[in-house]
Amino acid sequence: MMRYIKLVNFEINRFSKIYLSLLLITLVSQFAGVIFVTKSLLNDARDIMKEERLSEAAYITNYGSLDFNHIANTLLFVGPIALSAVALIFYIFLIWYRDWFGKNTFIYRLLMLPTSRLSIYLSKATAIFLMVLGLIAFQIIILPMENALFNSNVPEALLNEMSISTITIANPILSLIIPSTFTQFLISYGTGLMIMSILFTSIMFERSFRIKGIIMGLLYCGIAAVLFLAPFFVMEFGNFYFYPNELFGLLLALGIILTGLSVWLGAWLLKNRVTV
Amino acid sequence: MIEVKKISKNYGRKKILDDVSFTANKGEVTCLIGINGVGKTTTLKAIMGLTPYKGEILIDDQKMTKDSYEKITFIPDAPTMLPQMTIKQAMVFMSDFYTSWNPERANQLMGFFKLKEENRISELSKGNTAKLNLMLGLSLDVDYVLMDEPFSGIDMFSREQIADVFASHLIEDRGVIITTHEIGDIEHLIDKVILLDNGSVLKEFNTEEMREEEGKSVVDVMREVYQS
Repeated sequence: MMRYIKLVNFEINRFSKIYLSLLLITLVSQFAGVIFVTKSLLNDARDIMKEERLSEAAYITNYGSLDFNHIANTLLFVGPIALSAVALIFYIFLIWYRDWFGKNTFIYRLLMLPTSRLSIYLSKATAIFLMVLGLIAFQIIILPMENALFNSNVPEALLNEMSISTITIANPILSLIIPSTFTQFLISYGTGLMIMSILFTSIMFERSFRIKGIIMGLLYCGIAAVLFLAPFFVMEFGNFYFYPNELFGLLLALGIILTGLSVWLGAWLLKNRVTV
Repeated sequence: MIEVKKISKNYGRKKILDDVSFTANKGEVTCLIGINGVGKTTTLKAIMGLTPYKGEILIDDQKMTKDSYEKITFIPDAPTMLPQMTIKQAMVFMSDFYTSWNPERANQLMGFFKLKEENRISELSKGNTAKLNLMLGLSLDVDYVLMDEPFSGIDMFSREQIADVFASHLIEDRGVIITTHEIGDIEHLIDKVILLDNGSVLKEFNTEEMREEEGKSVVDVMREVYQS
């Protein structure tokens, strides 16, 4: 157990510079978004009021009040979230391949550690999952600050003050990464975990069987996708209807089975088939 | 004792190892010899569980498990630590993960090889990388040491230094399996030779017996076998 925790710590440390850069980019970009977009919104509002000789109340009646949604939908706000997501998806591959390639073959050392190969597999998965949760936690921390900054910059007469929960529910990306219910959390993060374990297993296929392994990995991804989405196919082509609770239950069960199967298969390949 | 029993290995359709069997005892230096591509490195990787194979390998009558890595170590001819690490960080990594890590021996070897803790691994020369690998491997209190081409591509002085380690107390109680082309550097230290050709064991002999009974050195036998 201690070695597993040390491995998780080691994996997080290896990505720490890029990870901190992602946090910094998110912080700077989103705060810059709040400042500059708010300024631009206010300038536009003032210009309109001037041109059309409108009072603030009339402006709100005609054009609506200013709320945080105006910020949350801009590239400066959503861009770093997308960048972090892409970086972590890329890292799912990099976390394995960087140990094999390059001048130093760290995979020798990693696979010769006196710990189970399952621990090595799980430590990499845990590191990525913790980094995802860290980014979300960071977003949850800075969102109220950004909202407060926005509220303080917009005149009260033009402002539609929103609570944090309203902001997250109203924005499709924020509602995905900051779930408001446990069910939503299970859907968002459970699906993420399942996809990561399927990709890890596909990488293990490639590392075990090389070119044949790429085909096997792609096939595994395809079969896993068909299995997970089977209830939807049944509804679409089988003239069958599942109630939302039934559908959720089925997806949850399939997700757990697929994640478990992927972890078992990936760890088995790492132990018995992988070639250094 | 390391027992390699009828192991076979294919890469695609190419046969790399074909029913290879031999034993390596504790306290002896066993040398795997053969021209390039005969399966020397693959044999070492198979022993270490770094590549799948058919057949059986036993370490002190036990199959390889995670705990075996506290008893046996492999020193490949490539760096096994991250290039951005310093030697100090590599040593901390080893002590974090291996209960068999012996810090006194590590410091002794650091001094012997004149390695500096603050040096970054990516900045080491080929010779110093080989020394670092050797230092990390030999600083584990293990029963068996597997070495893949420890003299490959390094200068004469570094070769001599590494050969000195073979003659020292750092090796004497351990079972060593080594692959090398530079047989001359350590010929006098080798107890047993396994000659491989086309993935099979061509000849296996005790060096002392060969010298006493037939008056031949390892190089003589190699010439006889590979030039015939």
